[in-house]
Amino acid sequence: MAAKKEPLKKIQEELRVTNDKYLRALADYQNLEKRIEQTITDAHVRTKSHVILQFLEVLDDLEKAEIFVKDEGLKMIKDKLIRIFVELGVKEMDLFGTEYDPHLAEAVEILPGADDNIISEIVRKGYLIGDKVLRPAQVKVSKKTN
Amino acid sequence: MAKTVGIDLGTTNSVVAVMEGGRPKVITSKEGRNTIPSVVDPEKRIVGDVAKRQMIIKPQEVIFSVKRLMGHKFDDKVVAQEQKWLPYKIVKEKDNRIGIKINDKTYTPEEISAMILKKAKEDAEDYLGDKVEKAVITVPAYFDDAQRQATKQAGEIAGLEVLRIINEPTASALAYGLDKKNLHNIAVYDFGGGTFDVTILEVGEGVFEVKATRGDTHLGGDDFDQEIIQFLVDEFKKENTIDLSKDPQALQRLKEAAEKAKVELSTSVETEINLPFITVKEGNPLHFVKKLSRAKVESLTEELIKRSFGPVAECLKDSKIDKKDIDEVILVGGMTRMPKIREEVKAFFGKEPNKSVNPDEAVALGAAIQAGIIEGDVKDVVLLDVTPLTLGVETLGSVMTPLIERNTSVPTAKSETFSTAADNQTQVDIHILQGERPMAKDNKSLGRFILEGIPPSPRGVPQVEVTFDIDASGILDVTAKDKATGKSQTIKITGSSGLNKEEIEKMKEDAEKNAETDKEEKEKIEVRNHADTMIYTAEKSLKDVGDKAPKDIKEDVETKIKELKDILEKGSREDIESKTKALSESLQKIGEIAYKQQAEEDAKKAKEEKSEKTDDSDKKDDKKVEEGEVVEE
Repeated sequence: MAAKKEPLKKIQEELRVTNDKYLRALADYQNLEKRIEQTITDAHVRTKSHVILQFLEVLDDLEKAEIFVKDEGLKMIKDKLIRIFVELGVKEMDLFGTEYDPHLAEAVEILPGADDNIISEIVRKGYLIGDKVLRPAQVKVSKKTN
Repeated sequence: MAKTVGIDLGTTNSVVAVMEGGRPKVITSKEGRNTIPSVVDPEKRIVGDVAKRQMIIKPQEVIFSVKRLMGHKFDDKVVAQEQKWLPYKIVKEKDNRIGIKINDKTYTPEEISAMILKKAKEDAEDYLGDKVEKAVITVPAYFDDAQRQATKQAGEIAGLEVLRIINEPTASALAYGLDKKNLHNIAVYDFGGGTFDVTILEVGEGVFEVKATRGDTHLGGDDFDQEIIQFLVDEFKKENTIDLSKDPQALQRLKEAAEKAKVELSTSVETEINLPFITVKEGNPLHFVKKLSRAKVESLTEELIKRSFGPVAECLKDSKIDKKDIDEVILVGGMTRMPKIREEVKAFFGKEPNKSVNPDEAVALGAAIQAGIIEGDVKDVVLLDVTPLTLGVETLGSVMTPLIERNTSVPTAKSETFSTAADNQTQVDIHILQGERPMAKDNKSLGRFILEGIPPSPRGVPQVEVTFDIDASGILDVTAKDKATGKSQTIKITGSSGLNKEEIEKMKEDAEKNAETDKEEKEKIEVRNHADTMIYTAEKSLKDVGDKAPKDIKEDVETKIKELKDILEKGSREDIESKTKALSESLQKIGEIAYKQQAEEDAKKAKEEKSEKTDDSDKKDDKKVEEGEVVEE
C-alpha cells in the first residue's frame, strides 16, 4: 500500500501545481483584459486631449485678435469654438486673483504687488477636461514690494 | 508580487520602465507623459512638470540639473563651473560636501535626486497597482565610484533597494537586444536634452565592458532650440525693428514654437511658424509668420552637430578600436531623431546606425531588462511557444489557405468551413501545409488524409469543418468533419515544429523573395477559379431556365461557356478575365428571364426570394464556405 501511495502523492502534488498555474494564467488573462479596457479608455482621453490642445491655440489667437479687431462675426466664430469645447467637456479655469498653484498654472513672470503669490495677470488661459488639467494656464504672479 | 523597476535618472528628464509579460515597458507618469522632468521643488516636495512651472518665480528654490552635482566635493573644479550658471545656492558643508541651500534649509544632491526617484517609484506603483521596492538605476559611463555611491544612496533615501547601478550605454545596448547578437564592438551615440555622451562597448558572452567614453556635459537639444529661437528673433528684428527677446511673453511663444518646429522637421522638410498678434508696433498688431525648412535648421545647428564628433573621434582613439571594427552603432537620446545627426553618424562610422528603439526610452527599457535578469523574472513566466510558420490546407487551384498564422502563441485551435468543388463529390482531400508561400506546392507538406462518405449534393453545398489544434508541445491535430453526417477524420502531426532554425529562416526568406511572382500566380488562379465558378453557374442556370429562355440567348451563353472553357487551362489572365466578364453579361439576360418567371408566380413569395438573393448575402456565403480541393477518382 505504501508503495502505491507515493505515486498518488506525486500526482496530487503535480495536479496542485498545474491547477495553480492554470488559475494564474486565467487570472493573468483577466487582468490583461481589464488593463486593455483601461488602456483603451486612457488612449481615447489622450487622443481627444491631444486634438483639443491643438485647437486651443486657435482660440488663443482669436482672443488676441479680438483685442484689435472689433467684429461681430469674429466674436461669433470664437463663441462657436468655445461652445464646441464645452460640449467636449472642456472648462476654462478662472484663476485671476487666486493664489498661485503650480498644479494649475505655469508662472512666466513676477509682478510687484500688494501680496505674495497671487495671480495678477493671465497670459494664456488654462483649461480642464473633466476634473483633470488639460492645459495649465500661463500667469504672472505677484511679489510683495515694500 | 512586488515588481522591480528600471530607472533612467537623467540630467533633464527621467524615465521609469518595468518588465511586463517578458518585455520592458515605459510607465506613463501621473501627468500622462513618458518622461518626468528632473526638476524638484524640495520645500513643497513637488517633482516633474508641476515643479518646472515655478522655475521663473522661484529660481533659487526650484532645483534642476542636480545630476551634475552628484558625488562631487564642494572643491571640485566642476562644481565651481556649474555654480556659475545654476541659479540656486550651492554651499560648502561639513567634510567638503555639497549643500543646496533653500531659504533656511539645506539639502544634499542625494536628497534632491531621491525626490525624483520617489516620484518615479510612486508613478510606477500607481500604474502597476502594486508596491515597488527594488530598482536598477542607470548612470553615465564616466561616473566614478563616489558618483555611483551617491546615486545608490539617493535610491535608498527614496525607499528603494538598489539592486544594481548600471551604465547608461550598457542599458541602451540591452534595450537594443545586443547582448544576444553575436557582436563584439558597439558604439553608443547618446544625444540628450542637456548632455552628449559617446561610449565604445565591448561585448563578450553577454557581458558589456566600457572600452572608452567621452562626452560634452553642456551640449544638448536645448542648445538647438536656442539657435532656432535666436534665428527667429533676428529675422523679426530685420523686418520690424522690434527685438522680441525683450518681450517675455513673445519669447515664451517663440520658444514653444521653436521646440515644436524642431520636432516637426524630423519628419517633414518644411514647417510654418505661425504666431498671430505676437507684438504691437505703434498701436498696430504684428504677426509672426515664417516658413522654416529642415535645411535651414541644419545649417543653423551645423556647429553643434560638428561639436559632438570631437568626443566621438577621441573616444574611438581611447578605445584603440578601429572604426571599421565597430559592429553596431546605436542611437540614444531625443536629438538623434534629427535626420542630419543620423546622416552624420552614418558618414562617420561608415555604417547605418541602428535606430529600432525609441531613443528617449532606450536607457530606461534597458534598466528594466537588467532588473528582470537579476530578479529572474524569466523563470516565473511561462514561456509560450509560437508557431514559427503558417499552417493551412490546400484549396481549389492548389492554393494554400492559412488557418493558423505564424507567430501565434500555442496552445491554440482554429476551425474553418470548406465545401466541395464539384457536383456529387463524396470525398474531400485534406492536405496540410506549412509555410508562407501562397501556392500549395511551394510549402512544406505535413500530411494528408481523405474524408469520405459525404452525401452526394451540388458543389458548394456540403459543409466540411476543418479544425487545426496545436497543443503546448507543438503537436498538431487536424480534424475534418462533415457537418451533415457528423462523420469525421483526424490526423496527428508531430513534426509540425520539426524544422530547425535554418529551415524556418530559409522558408521565410523564400516567401519574401518570391512575394511578387507568388502574388501573380495566386491572382491567376483566383481568376481561373472565378471563371470555373462562372461556368458552373451558367450551366446550372441554363438547365434551370429550361426552354423558357429564347433560343438565341441560350445559344449565346453556350458559345461563351465554350469559349471560356477552351482557354481556362492555358489562356492568359487577361483573356480569362474578359471572357468571364462576357459570360457573366450574357448570363444576366437569363437571370432576368428567371426573375420574371418567379415574379409571375407569387407576388408575395417573389418579394421574399428577392431579399434572399441580394448580392450581399451571396457574397457572405462565399466567404464562409470556401471550396475544398477535389479528388476525382
